[in-house]
Amino acid sequence: MPLLPTSSPAGGPREGKARVAVATAVVSVAFLVLLGRLYQLQILRGGEFKGRADENFVKELRVPADRGLVLDRNRRVLVDSRPSYDVTLTPYFCGRQCEEVVARLGTMLSLSRDEEIRVRDTLKRARGLERFRPFTVKVDLGRDELDVLEANRMELSGAVEVMPNPHRSYRHGTWASHLLGYMNEIGADELERENQRIDESSGDELPYQLGDYIGRRGLERRFEAELRGVDGKQRVVVDARGNALRGSELIPERQRLQPSRPGKNLVLSLDWRLQEFAEKTFPGVAGAVLAMDPKTGFLLALVDRPATDPNKLSGRITKAELVEIASDPLQPELFRAIQQHYHPGSTFKVVTAVAALEEGVFKNGGTIWCPGYFSMGGRYRWRCDKDSGHGTVDLEHALGASCDVFFYTLGAHLGADKIAHWGGLLGLGRPTGFDTSDREIPGVMPDKAWHDAHIAGGYQHGMAVNLAIGQGDVNVTPLQQLVLYTALASGTVWRPQVVLRLEDARGEVVKAFAPEERGRLPLKPETRAAVMQGLLAAVNQPFGTGWWSRLKDVVMAGKTGTAQVVKMGARRLKASQVSYFERDHAWFAAFAPADDPQIVVVVLNEHSGFGASNAAPTASAVVKKWLEILKQDEAERAGAGRPPEAPPAAPPPPAPGPARPEKPSREGARAAAGEGRGHGA
Amino acid sequence: MALEITGSALLGASRRRLFEHFPWPVAALAVAISALGVWNLASASRSAHAPVWLPQLAWMGVGVFLALAVAMVDYRAFLRMAYVFYALVILLLLVVLVKGRVVMGARRWLTFGPVNFQPAELAKIAVMLAVARWFHRDAERESERPRRGYGLLGVAVPSLLTLLPAALILKQPDLGTALIVVAIGFTIILFAGVRWRTVALAAGAAALAAVLALPHLKPYQRRRLESFLNPEGDVLGAGYHATQSMIAVGSGQGFGKGWGQGTQTLLSFLPEQHTDFIFSVWAEERGFLGCFFLLGLYYALVGTVLGIAGTARDRFGFLLGAGVAGMLFWHTFVNMGMVVGLLPVVGVTLPLLSYGGSSLMATFLALGLAANVSMRRFVN
Repeated sequence: MPLLPTSSPAGGPREGKARVAVATAVVSVAFLVLLGRLYQLQILRGGEFKGRADENFVKELRVPADRGLVLDRNRRVLVDSRPSYDVTLTPYFCGRQCEEVVARLGTMLSLSRDEEIRVRDTLKRARGLERFRPFTVKVDLGRDELDVLEANRMELSGAVEVMPNPHRSYRHGTWASHLLGYMNEIGADELERENQRIDESSGDELPYQLGDYIGRRGLERRFEAELRGVDGKQRVVVDARGNALRGSELIPERQRLQPSRPGKNLVLSLDWRLQEFAEKTFPGVAGAVLAMDPKTGFLLALVDRPATDPNKLSGRITKAELVEIASDPLQPELFRAIQQHYHPGSTFKVVTAVAALEEGVFKNGGTIWCPGYFSMGGRYRWRCDKDSGHGTVDLEHALGASCDVFFYTLGAHLGADKIAHWGGLLGLGRPTGFDTSDREIPGVMPDKAWHDAHIAGGYQHGMAVNLAIGQGDVNVTPLQQLVLYTALASGTVWRPQVVLRLEDARGEVVKAFAPEERGRLPLKPETRAAVMQGLLAAVNQPFGTGWWSRLKDVVMAGKTGTAQVVKMGARRLKASQVSYFERDHAWFAAFAPADDPQIVVVVLNEHSGFGASNAAPTASAVVKKWLEILKQDEAERAGAGRPPEAPPAAPPPPAPGPARPEKPSREGARAAAGEGRGHGA
Repeated sequence: MALEITGSALLGASRRRLFEHFPWPVAALAVAISALGVWNLASASRSAHAPVWLPQLAWMGVGVFLALAVAMVDYRAFLRMAYVFYALVILLLLVVLVKGRVVMGARRWLTFGPVNFQPAELAKIAVMLAVARWFHRDAERESERPRRGYGLLGVAVPSLLTLLPAALILKQPDLGTALIVVAIGFTIILFAGVRWRTVALAAGAAALAAVLALPHLKPYQRRRLESFLNPEGDVLGAGYHATQSMIAVGSGQGFGKGWGQGTQTLLSFLPEQHTDFIFSVWAEERGFLGCFFLLGLYYALVGTVLGIAGTARDRFGFLLGAGVAGMLFWHTFVNMGMVVGLLPVVGVTLPLLSYGGSSLMATFLALGLAANVSMRRFVN
């Protein structure tokens, strides 16, 4: 049967009509199929395709939030942000040319091999939607690199962008840098962890993205969530090659920009005038200068040395530089104020004195004979710091002149448990509760049980004798010392704090931190009076160890300490005769004015020798400076309306300081860092 | 029978009759589609950074003139010229294979002074004329025509007439045009009348040939085929055209985004947007309503030309009309089918909407032929 009727002789109308009818039917069906498909695409799935068309051309650029500032108590800026020009690459937009683009970038930005490999790896790993996400090729371009890049813009595809990103600027370099912390790029595992946490929290925090910076250590880490802020979004129109187009009429105006919300500002209790003075005055290579307001427990200054510049750690640091920092025997990464413990040396004698008075082992007014040594049972001898002996000494004299024999005697009567009990009440042997991200070590306040557990042969009574003068196994952090002396000055064991409040960008208080008491010192008034008398004598009596650091107009109380690092030999050696890491640590703790303390200062100068000569001058200068600052602020408040005069900068005393030591072995450094045991007979 | 334009044919009564039977609907539809085409192209060219609608307008002028000229000459003159024209086109196709200009990996263009053109477009017309001419022979010798339609032997020669230029075009390579040439030839053969058995056999042979040819496809052709079968498989690679085209069409929704507002067009997400994928521009900016309207115009055009074929005065005219209708239909269906993702991506233009002189000329030549047949249906 023919498909179409065969034609009549001349191809007449009948034949034609029939075949045309069939053809018309076929054409009709075909057009209906097309129409049906159009209906399916445009009407039934139109919304879906509209969405996909919009996704095609709308590129979301991140508007990074301004990270919160860190200010001192007078709102002086310590940490802020400056623009850093970062180069990013969006894999999708360079497609098959990516390799070539990376090679060009490598030349233009003189990327190192490592950097280029990292970029190529990231490119390779980007799959699916990740290909639309720009990732950082290089941060913080120099002006030259920026020029080269801009000049060769045409050679690079639209995939390459230069974004001015805020970059952290630590205005004062290494000063207080352990406290402030630093920032660097978030790691892959960390990203996952943080984002999971953010997922689970109900806040408005946005997830992190690869290449984001995150606070590392210190306050940057502790207050990461508060400082970070919430990034905004800018939606721009791009063409198929990823070039951003100028006009953005295609995007509804309300959706074009979602502004970022800046992070909270951190207002610290530090007074940068004091900090600056302390930094310049402190002669030590390693050590700490801590100052606290005894009425609140807030810190006024925190010098911690040595330290690495956080600007460097937060930016373009090379592997070699990191290795150098990590292998520095002085351990600049260590936050000494809370992460390193030391023998307190003679500064601990106040604890022994308090214990003896409170426990009734010693009555104020009594005396002890110092022949220059102490012996127990005739078998062991402990040497006094003054070989010739102090003769008959009372408590005032013993504290003032730091007579070891006096306290050996008390220690022998007290035993370790009683000393440890009072040390514990003064905050020793446990973390102070200082709130930063860095782990705080608890120190050691050994009682009998501790000795039994840790020392071969268990507790011996002679150990309490060592303990009584701050040697043996007692170990404290500089911050614990500060808390202890503040407790003596004010009667309160404070939790040391440094953040006064969080403010929003307009300066309104979001959260204020109140002083926090961890306990009160249950001292009988006569105990306190007796100890205070001793501390006053140490500075204000000619026989006192801190006599040379006394202040003219203010009565300061204090105590020197010289913590032995290695076992004392038969002969005393001068500091210059032993290697750096075997020298003693110098301590000085002080507060003033004695009758109404305004400031407590603890100075630790590692491996510098005697406390009286290498720590006390700094402490007394800091105290003096603070009292001047207070007076000056008072005057300004009184004469309000008058333009405040620039504070006359007190010239810091010359800081001769020991020469930076030759690099000894790492082992030597560790031994020096606090493993040296007390001295036996 | 007056096979040539005689002085008298151009004068007096016969001339008025010619005018009376001028297919006004075809002309109106062609002009309407062309006008929409230029308008649409003006939007598409916003992103091409070249006002391609201007040369298109010029080509249309030339095309209309050409169509009128073709319509004037009695089509029976083409009957005599059919094989000569066919031979000439075969020659051009051979020349282009040797001396053609290479554009995007294919040798398709011949250059004559300032004019570039694709002989493959002329092949459509040549096949139309030659195959119609072959079957017209039987109209004169009625006894030789099989009663129940042609068998294998009967369609052998016209099939060869169709496949020879198609093969040459495939060699360029230009799969799309080759397919259209085959479709035009076979449409005319079907209109001439073929036995069911023969049709089934040919279909079977074609299927077998397709299976055998599959391993010999060029890699890009195989990728297109694969991506047609699974367009979401490789959205950024081979399936890119198909996917972006469907996004463009679908995102037009009911009423379209408006002229010049198509983001797929404006931002160059659509490839070949002013040539093969021009319909997606229309669909994106005019929506389902506009598509319905445009499809209606094409449907009317194809239908009207089919009607002309049905009323042709002789077998040649009938088959010529069918050929023109077939050409318009296959172009439209294959192109739109590809744009909406019903058919794999092949390079086939949309008549009167796609940018390109050669394609336009072929379309207007074909329309001129249809007009010619229409004008002379009752003329002696």
